[in-house]
Amino acid sequence: MEFEYGNFKVSFKYGMEYLHVTAKITFIALFFGVVIGLVVAVVRHYKIPVISQILTVFVTLYQGLPVMVALLIYNLLFSFYIADIIRILHLNVQVRDVDNIVVAYFTLSLAAITSISETFRGAFVSVEKTQYEAGHAVGLSKLQTLRRIIIPQMIPVAIPGLINNMVGTIKGTSLVMTIGVMEVMNASLIPCSRTYSFLEGYVAAALIYWTFTLVLETIARVFEKRTKCYRENITN
Amino acid sequence: MKNIFSWDRLWKVIPQLNPYIGVSFRIVLSGLVFGTLLGLAVAVLRIKKILIINQILSVYISFMRGTSMLVQLMIIYYGLPLLLKGTIGVDINSWDKLMFVKATFILNEGAFLGELFRAAIESVPAEQREAGYSINLTGPQVFFRIVLPQAVKTAIPAYGVDVIGMFHNTSIAFTLGVIDLVGRAKTIGIGTGHLIEAYVYVAFIYIIVSIILKLLFYLLDRKFTFGTEGTVH
Repeated sequence: MEFEYGNFKVSFKYGMEYLHVTAKITFIALFFGVVIGLVVAVVRHYKIPVISQILTVFVTLYQGLPVMVALLIYNLLFSFYIADIIRILHLNVQVRDVDNIVVAYFTLSLAAITSISETFRGAFVSVEKTQYEAGHAVGLSKLQTLRRIIIPQMIPVAIPGLINNMVGTIKGTSLVMTIGVMEVMNASLIPCSRTYSFLEGYVAAALIYWTFTLVLETIARVFEKRTKCYRENITN
Repeated sequence: MKNIFSWDRLWKVIPQLNPYIGVSFRIVLSGLVFGTLLGLAVAVLRIKKILIINQILSVYISFMRGTSMLVQLMIIYYGLPLLLKGTIGVDINSWDKLMFVKATFILNEGAFLGELFRAAIESVPAEQREAGYSINLTGPQVFFRIVLPQAVKTAIPAYGVDVIGMFHNTSIAFTLGVIDLVGRAKTIGIGTGHLIEAYVYVAFIYIIVSIILKLLFYLLDRKFTFGTEGTVH
């Protein structure tokens, strides 16, 4: 047994065909992560009573749960309850047509929300208190201060953390293979079960993930440089 | 709808799962000990910037950071026996699967901790080193007595996050067929037809241990806040 370049090429081609699935899971998770994560961070930063405490407990506990275990649990619950959900919502679909990729969206989004909200919370602290007071002094409302003064200054601080969250989410998408969603990892292994060339399949998948991560990271770094203009006194 | 969750089954599952917590800890421990050593070596080599070695190490770190641990685990499981047989003629196909998991964790942690240590060592101001040389300390003395204690202090919070991440990553070991917490939960599920209770207990263990680890590192971090009296943050 040795490394067969031909098998590797076949696996690579199969994997590339499903790159869009991995990309879709990543972007959906990141989208919800950034939007809801920002809301969670704002609620916790302003210490809105009750909701803030509930979110603190939830985020603290949920960060202790590995994505893998969460994925297995949600997938199990999904297979138990999917028939009921369809019946209750009167959806016009058959149980066998429902793809469990929605479990992947859900799990990774939730994981992204908790980790990204922590990133944003850290970034909020980096903006000095005087900035809030300045916003208040010129008669801006709390929401206006947040949107026009605080968030633009907090973004450059948050971006390095967000890049880490993004890399983490991309890595998380490969776990989805264990619940049988067809994405880069599973697709790269399609030809392997016939030829027993699992090493080649996994190396192909690794190369695709590596490139995908590097490309997204490079784009994010360019973005990071451009947002620095909102915050000139940044110290790091 | 049948009753999918029952407390009775949960209580029954706990003693069956408890012995397997140790498996995860053993993986974390070997990853921690050897990963830290490897990480230190990587950090020192990277700081010295030796030609070629530096480039090889940056590719290694980029790969470990850019791909998921699941892929790395599989590549090491299928690739390491091939590599060792081809180069030094040692057959490790009969190794326990746990060994491959540990090898993956060590290699992965070597990269992550290497970058972490490098950042921490480089964060020590150059004046500190110069001060050491000015009172006639040798190179190793400066490193071990002046740079390292200060670097450790900066590294601790990130190190804690890394250890918790490593503990979370042990949950992928079951994909190789290692019987750890998740693996045992799966076998219980196959035996009894009830998976959810076992999974819930596994999730509970992961959450509790993560929080304990977080607390420990928080206390450790507080203990290491020496030398900051009178300085402005």
